[in-house]
Amino acid sequence: MTHLIVSDVTLTFGGLDALSHVDITIEPGIITSIIGPNGAGKTSVLNCISGFYHPSQGTIRYGNRNLTHASPHQVSNIGIARAFQNLELFRGLSVLDNLLLARHQHLTYSIFHALIYFGKASRLEAENRAYVEKVIDFMELELYRKSMVGNLSYGIQKRVEVARALTLGPKLLLLDEPMAGMNIEEKEDIVRFILDLKKEWGITIVLVEHDLGVVMDISDQIYVLDFGVVIGSGKPKDVASDRTVIEAYIGEE
Amino acid sequence: MSSNRWLATGNYFTSYKEEQRIFTTSLDRSVMGVFLCVLFSWPLFFSIGNKYMLVVDNILVAVIAVIGLNLVTGFAGLISIGHAAFVGIGAYTVASFCRVLGDSHPLITHGWPPMIVAAGCMGALFGAVVGLPALRLKHLYLAIATLSFQMIFQWTINFMDFFDQGQTISVGRVFWVTGEVARNEHYLFWYYVILTVIVILGFGVRNLLRTRYGRCLVAVRDNDRAADAMGMHPGLVKVYAFGLAGFCAGVAGALHAYLYRGVGIDSFTLYHSINYLAMAIVGGLGTLQGAFWGPLAIRVLDLQVERLSEWAGSHVTAATNLTTALRPLSFGLVIVLFLMFEPRGIANWWRIFKSYVKLWPFRY
Repeated sequence: MTHLIVSDVTLTFGGLDALSHVDITIEPGIITSIIGPNGAGKTSVLNCISGFYHPSQGTIRYGNRNLTHASPHQVSNIGIARAFQNLELFRGLSVLDNLLLARHQHLTYSIFHALIYFGKASRLEAENRAYVEKVIDFMELELYRKSMVGNLSYGIQKRVEVARALTLGPKLLLLDEPMAGMNIEEKEDIVRFILDLKKEWGITIVLVEHDLGVVMDISDQIYVLDFGVVIGSGKPKDVASDRTVIEAYIGEE
Repeated sequence: MSSNRWLATGNYFTSYKEEQRIFTTSLDRSVMGVFLCVLFSWPLFFSIGNKYMLVVDNILVAVIAVIGLNLVTGFAGLISIGHAAFVGIGAYTVASFCRVLGDSHPLITHGWPPMIVAAGCMGALFGAVVGLPALRLKHLYLAIATLSFQMIFQWTINFMDFFDQGQTISVGRVFWVTGEVARNEHYLFWYYVILTVIVILGFGVRNLLRTRYGRCLVAVRDNDRAADAMGMHPGLVKVYAFGLAGFCAGVAGALHAYLYRGVGIDSFTLYHSINYLAMAIVGGLGTLQGAFWGPLAIRVLDLQVERLSEWAGSHVTAATNLTTALRPLSFGLVIVLFLMFEPRGIANWWRIFKSYVKLWPFRY
């Protein structure tokens, strides 16, 4: 099993340090949460890992691969998938097509196969369609399979977003606030999916979330960020009683 | 469960392969078959004369070009204002062979099918090169990049001795298995060739659109950040889209060259680029059908405008020059009206009509 190691990462925008000397180790097979107040740099960490930002200092390694300067498609091709906070779905396509798009790298036929279609292309499309169905089944999206994504409700779109990341067939899943803006019932659904993903699919999960109740409940490891600095880490219990963390969240007494 | 493959209802897919079909019912398939038979056989029963045959051929050539433009602008969302230049690349590929080998060299007169493919490849090459700015530029800036290619193309041809400064370079008569294609059969012969090319290209593109090579185009149009996260290189996809468009344009160009038996810069100007864009918009961007409706509508409109101004000219002498004014006017008006009232183009009307017929006599 491979570790994702973010070491000494600094990310600067002009004169502002969005992240400074961040060290995070994500161990395989568990749920790691990254929390922190607004603007603490949680999403910046995910953006650095998934290749949308490149740190100005420090390295990001996954197993023996260096991801520091990798681009998003390279990162996703080695098995790190990302679900976005602000829905970045292909709105003009059906749920099915959105998910099939995530199978892009697994459809290995050439353009000439595609032009003729019969044979290899058809077979691979069907095989990957079966995989997509597995994800649809898991995420309980059967009802919306053929609906245009743009027409679905926010909660469902969020679920499609997670499903799409899952369709990439990742070993590591980065979830950026998958529960933001959801009602309690939808949140419970997503939590259930996350726990099942860990247990049944064996996927390592990195969760960025504001709902501390959820985070404390399901995480195995927590990192707390404030102003781009890691101010605390450990098991949920330890983090909850950490003085600096309480200060950052609630303020000094 | 027994099911009637002719009906639109009551048919359930039991395998993923069944769902991949282009035609879901036998009825759809037969309608398409009959339609193709009609397209191939009507010239045997009706004779419409060379003038109108040329119009038909012209529309079909435009269809091929617009299929390409629709791929890059409609599906991949990259506005290209230099499409006529790509068509020109195809035509001038044939023309350059004519200049070097002479216009009746066997390679040109007998080897026209590979020549058309070569012109397509040349178009694809230029398309990909012109698409390179797409790695960096977006939206309008990219459109300007394609516009600059149009300008460079026109300028280059206009000043190159090799291409006779843009004057017509003639292309020889081609040979078929029955011998040289005679003058009175010329347009009919090319009707069949172009139609065959369209059928091949149409099915090719249709197949492409149901595979990763078609989906990636739509992905970069809708959200290229997410496309990147889904494991495709958005820049390369855009370059590939331009290459694809260039291929179709190149094929159209070569057919244009053979059809008119000559290549001159007048057919590949900015005016034509915008014309192609208008066809794509009027037909329906992002639909394969749109590439068929658009050229048909615009060319028929053109014809009617010409007829109207002719009629007006015969009554009022001052109106003799009406064509020159009416043409751009009507043309611009149609684009504006479509963009305002039916941005999804004629393809959408067709969709509405089909669902109406399907449900008739019920409303929904």
